[in-house]
Amino acid sequence: MKIRRFGPRSLAGQMAVMVAIALFCAQAINFGMFLHERRQIRFEQVTLPSITRVVDGVERIAAGRPLPDGDDRGRGRVLLESTNPIPADAEPQRDVEAGIRSALAENGLTTTTIQAVVRVVLPQDPRLRAFGPRRAERFARAGGELIVAVEQPGKGWITLHAPWPRGGGPSVWQLIAQTLILYGAVLIAVLWAGSRMARPLRDLVSAASSFTPGGPVAPLIERGPSDVRAVTGAFNALRTRVTGMLDEKDRMLGAIGHDLRTPLAALRVRIESVEDEGDHDRMAEIIAEMDRTLDDILSLARLGRPSEPPTEVDMAALVEAVVEDFRDLGADVTAEESPRLRMTLRPTLMRRAVRNLIENAVKYGVSVEVTLVQGPGCVRIGIADRGPGIPPDQFEEVFDPFTRLETSRNKDTGGIGLGLALARAIVREAGGDIELANRDGGGLLATIVLKR
Amino acid sequence: MPLPEPMADIPHLLLVDDERSIREPLAQFLTKQGFRITQVGDAEAARTRLAAYAIDLVILDIMMPGEDGLSLCRHIRETSNIPVILLTARTEETDRIVGLEMGADDYVVKPFSPRELAARAKVILRRAASGGARQHAPEAGSYAFAGWVLKSGERTLIDREGVSLPLSTGEYNLLLALVQRPRQVLTRDQLLDLTQGREAAAFDRAIDNQVSRLRKKIEGDAKVPELIKTVWGGGYTLAAEVTRL
Repeated sequence: MKIRRFGPRSLAGQMAVMVAIALFCAQAINFGMFLHERRQIRFEQVTLPSITRVVDGVERIAAGRPLPDGDDRGRGRVLLESTNPIPADAEPQRDVEAGIRSALAENGLTTTTIQAVVRVVLPQDPRLRAFGPRRAERFARAGGELIVAVEQPGKGWITLHAPWPRGGGPSVWQLIAQTLILYGAVLIAVLWAGSRMARPLRDLVSAASSFTPGGPVAPLIERGPSDVRAVTGAFNALRTRVTGMLDEKDRMLGAIGHDLRTPLAALRVRIESVEDEGDHDRMAEIIAEMDRTLDDILSLARLGRPSEPPTEVDMAALVEAVVEDFRDLGADVTAEESPRLRMTLRPTLMRRAVRNLIENAVKYGVSVEVTLVQGPGCVRIGIADRGPGIPPDQFEEVFDPFTRLETSRNKDTGGIGLGLALARAIVREAGGDIELANRDGGGLLATIVLKR
Repeated sequence: MPLPEPMADIPHLLLVDDERSIREPLAQFLTKQGFRITQVGDAEAARTRLAAYAIDLVILDIMMPGEDGLSLCRHIRETSNIPVILLTARTEETDRIVGLEMGADDYVVKPFSPRELAARAKVILRRAASGGARQHAPEAGSYAFAGWVLKSGERTLIDREGVSLPLSTGEYNLLLALVQRPRQVLTRDQLLDLTQGREAAAFDRAIDNQVSRLRKKIEGDAKVPELIKTVWGGGYTLAAEVTRL
């Protein structure tokens, strides 16, 4: 099973997504650190002193001493009130409550009810007018009021009012907005850099996949960042080298072909002096066979750079022409007539592929039947014989050049098994393939499957 | 000035091939076949012999070091009417077509049968002796008729829409014989003669058979042929204007 990939696949797209994720993570970490620090400061500056004062107040009340007046600025004054001043709608602060409770317990003091809440204070709050101007300002700036009340049974409530900093820091929405602004700026740069890399890479891909070492091609323009330029340059050099090697190979094959054909031709002329007509004919046949094999080898070696251009051909006529050639030679080959079938391919090579398959069938089997079937999206040319067939585990082997199955096929019938290799190479070059199957009742069915 | 010909009735062949291993036994064989042979190893020597003797036919290897066969062939065609048979390799297909278009009369592919070469030489000499104008090589150029084009160099038949219909060797030879002689009545024997010999294929199957196959390919209705007509008691004729392209 294939795991589906999400998100964009292109270079620029993936870079954009990666940058987005990285930016968001960095922002989230910043935000978390900020919140933590703020809580720390509040604990040190507000919570701890409040707890200390309240505990001190409770101690004084318990010892019968008077409550302090607070510092010179009237900060953090502890009062003894007769009623509970905690408003019902305020937000309880459990950590402050717990802090006081444990501090009291450490000092061996007991109380019944401890309440700590935070009330929202708006700048125009009417109660601020009751405070002195500096105190009012501090409360307004903090935006909150911490109210602590500790019940002293029979005596009333020990209370404390202190400014409580709330809000003001970044929210999650602020975080997202910040990230988006940052991301927008970075994205433009990323996309620009990405496309600068991606465009030459795309050119490279199309040049590499359409590379057929034939005629001269203009080298790719080296552009983009230096790494990409280097790749393009290396590709250009590689292409030149491959073309050069193939040119060299073609020249060499031409020379081999010429150098082997010349002695063959000399031999062919020489055998005319052989008196025995039977010997002469056999020698001529062997020379012709060598020539055919040489031709097959050269064709196979050259197949990567076919010189014949693809043209529109009537496939039915092509198959029929090959079959007729065999029938003219007296071979037992039959084919049903089929309607015209236009295809674009290299006719001489395809003719050779069909011929090699039929030749193989004629060589090893009897009553060869050739069929041409137009299937959905493909054309199937079937060549069926009534020979010994091939063991299925050797289907792949018969296509290997220079392989012949000695077990089931006769060594004396000539050939070195290059015919099938060449046929398959031709068909594959045309974008198709050859399938082999053994027939019910004996014999082999070779099918050329070509896409349409 | 050509020297006086001492054996005027024996055809004088000039054999041009750089390969001694082919040239010498071939010269021997052709001498036995009743030709007078002058053999040379390069184009330059061939030019001097051509000027010195009354050569009846040149057998010319295409691939030679120095001036190649094609260039010499062009020179022969420009300066004389001497027929030329090319010796080619299968890999030199384009060279062969160029050579034929340049006015060579025929070709054989290495490794060729010397008997076949001798037979072809005799046919060409007979044709030249009968006073007939030099015929174009059978494979040079294309023939257009009734919307079809027979491309002889590539051995394909092309229809009005540009789709090529590959022909079997027999069909091709028959059609070539017909388009080269439009509106002439050709008997079965004549057609058999004209279509034989080029390939090793045996042409034992009746001409009628190939005609009916060709009709299926090129006639609108094979039962009522408009192009390849049967002449009762005679043979077949191509009833169409043929233009050489």
